[in-house]
Amino acid sequence: MAACWSCANPPGNGPFCGSCGKIQPAGAQDPFAVLGVPRRLHQDEALLETRWREISRKVHPDKFSRATPKERRFSLEQATRLNEAFRALRDRMRRAEALLKLEGFEVASDAKPVAVKLPPGFLEQAMEDREALADARMQGEDAVQALAAKVRERRDATIEEIDRAFGSWEGGGGQEALAPAVEALAKTRYFARFLDEVGGHEDA
Amino acid sequence: MLLDIVDPAAPMGKAVGIDLGTTNSLVARVEGRGTRPRCLVVDEGSTLLPSAVAYVDGRIVAGRAARRLAAAHPQSVILSAKRFVGKSADDPETRRLSPYRYASDKGPVIRFDTGGRVVTPVEVSADVLRRLKEEAEKELGPIDRAVVTVPAYFDDAQRQATKDAGRLAGLEVLRLLNEPTAAALAYGLDRNREGTFAVYDLGGGTFDISILRLVEGVFEVKATGGDSALGGDDFDRALASKLLVRMGAGTGDPGLVRRMIDAARDAKERLTTDEQTEVAANGPDGRPWTCTLRRSELEEVIRPILERTAPACHRALCDAGVEGKLDGVILVGGSTRTPLVRRFVGELFRMAPLSDLDPDEVVALGAAIQANQLAGEEKAHDDILLLDVIPLSLGLETMGGLVEKIIPRNSTIPAAMQQVFTTYVDGQGGLDVHVVQGERELASDCRSLARFVLKGIPPLPAGLPRIRITFQVDADGLLVVSAREELTGVAQTIQVKPSHGLTDEEVERMLMESLEHGEEDLVRRFVLEARVEAQRILNAAERQIEDNGDLLNADERSIVERAMRKLFEAAQGTDHRLMGERIQELDLATAEFARRIMDRGIQRALGGHSVDEIAPRA
Repeated sequence: MAACWSCANPPGNGPFCGSCGKIQPAGAQDPFAVLGVPRRLHQDEALLETRWREISRKVHPDKFSRATPKERRFSLEQATRLNEAFRALRDRMRRAEALLKLEGFEVASDAKPVAVKLPPGFLEQAMEDREALADARMQGEDAVQALAAKVRERRDATIEEIDRAFGSWEGGGGQEALAPAVEALAKTRYFARFLDEVGGHEDA
Repeated sequence: MLLDIVDPAAPMGKAVGIDLGTTNSLVARVEGRGTRPRCLVVDEGSTLLPSAVAYVDGRIVAGRAARRLAAAHPQSVILSAKRFVGKSADDPETRRLSPYRYASDKGPVIRFDTGGRVVTPVEVSADVLRRLKEEAEKELGPIDRAVVTVPAYFDDAQRQATKDAGRLAGLEVLRLLNEPTAAALAYGLDRNREGTFAVYDLGGGTFDISILRLVEGVFEVKATGGDSALGGDDFDRALASKLLVRMGAGTGDPGLVRRMIDAARDAKERLTTDEQTEVAANGPDGRPWTCTLRRSELEEVIRPILERTAPACHRALCDAGVEGKLDGVILVGGSTRTPLVRRFVGELFRMAPLSDLDPDEVVALGAAIQANQLAGEEKAHDDILLLDVIPLSLGLETMGGLVEKIIPRNSTIPAAMQQVFTTYVDGQGGLDVHVVQGERELASDCRSLARFVLKGIPPLPAGLPRIRITFQVDADGLLVVSAREELTGVAQTIQVKPSHGLTDEEVERMLMESLEHGEEDLVRRFVLEARVEAQRILNAAERQIEDNGDLLNADERSIVERAMRKLFEAAQGTDHRLMGERIQELDLATAEFARRIMDRGIQRALGGHSVDEIAPRA
């Protein structure tokens, strides 16, 4: 956005023009920039929520119910992007996903689940898990929960891998330090899906 | 741009808040800076307008006068039309104990045959709204805009229908506001409190439970749940059934049923303060009949109905992640006056519920506050913001009749999310897009919102096209779906844009299109569909292994072949869910294979050109 649609001055990075204060179209800002927090895995989640609420209060369509159609459209765009950003950052795993994307990795996501190649061994294990689940379902809820506990352990180990990768990246390890996190993140998606299917209570 | 927002005509009249209820409707208004909202007198000295409309002798009468006509003209007086709004003619609702005659032999929308005239629930609701508007205008002068409340659990079709009713009544609907949110708005403002609240709303025809957070003037809906077919009317009906049994009469005489429901409601209301009461009615032979009813007998009848509200409350608390951390419970809806309801809610949440505001008026009062703010008539409440969530997940039907959720339940709106889909058959030129709403895993168990076909997909091998489907939900909770094939840059955008500016015929047609599933055996149908799908996928996989098998090493190939074998075995049986699972497994096992094939396909399709060269012009 080179110039504000209203006053033609450079509008700056915020949702509103720095010169005339008019709401701007939602550009291609990353979620960290949208919420005004540093790019890192560890975040103060209460602060994220406060930021989200503060900005919502300014850009929400309700605040533009009497504005021009253009401003109402921009408000809808800004509020949508803000909610999207908050959703992407409020959860640790999603944050990891957002950071990996920003660092240029192709990551598995809801929109593109097949983007990441998982090793054949893992797929093999995944299929065995499903067979074990079918067997456990025959045996009853206890067996299912016992299996779920095992899968949860593997998931937790995978999450630790992700934490380690981000730890060394934040310590100045460069982009390649994040590479192990890409595959680990794809694995956590599989675990989440499996555990979701099993149901039962998350102790986290 | 997905949404096309129309500039409203320069506002001339005033804006009000309307609670369009199942049993009663109210209109409220904030008049003047810093004043509290108040409900207007609309019917025979009362702020409550019974949501009843009589179509008798070519006249349209709403309110108490209509309700009085109900006993003599049971089929010409429509009560509780809200129960039917946005529903199809074969909805189970039409099979409940009620005196109405349905003109449902043609068309999918419920139509009441009132004798002289056939009306839809939207028209009945519009007649209620028109009466509210006219009565309020006697005091306020012209009114042309309103915030209208809906149960939090209303799906997209029901919201659309409510908006249409407003339009038919000559009102611009500034916002559809969830009823519990409106109630919390009324309480939050009056008390200036912060914390997490449950809103237990038991009205005449709907039950809603919402978990709300109030922080620094911002209202956030954390979770919603409920039952759009449970309420005080059920108390009346259950009590009427008991009285009919006691009388020794059946349910075949619509006039008698109507009279007993009225008698039951009156008795229930008297038992709010009295320990026992006399019920008087005319029997089937027209002779007077009386009996004595004790409060404990009423409570015995309604407790099982009340207990049906408990699971939704637990689920909402769980969804909101606030189990045991509530700061208060707000009571909404006339049915919460019943002493047993207050006791029950107190036991359920382990705290005495808040009920300082009139539970009948509280929703309209909140709507008035929001109307005042949206109409921009003053800045006094400028620091208030409602952050709403969508009550039901929005998704698409995928292979085997399963649902792929695009926007999960309880996402904050406005929201936009997208998902990429592909084709199953080589050269497939179109993709069926079926938009559904609900939590069930089978599309047939969810509400069908729209169907359309994305055409013009370039002829490519199966699995190559990338069709990005975007759902955008605006601040009213209304949905716009768009689809676009983007791999080759042949961009096609199709919008499903319900409601805004639609005629009633179009609304009806949309509903008709959504009613493709008849009474046929759905399970059998899904088994067949899943089997066809399984076969199609197996064929495709076999062909790909033949053509591109060199892209796999021996290990990878054996994993793919194993998944294929398991899918083949499942397809011999009759468990379509299993087939669905096996299909997903094969998907997982062939994900990398598909990517490699796609890479190779792109290389061939482009004949050596780079992707950038054929990218769409931005």
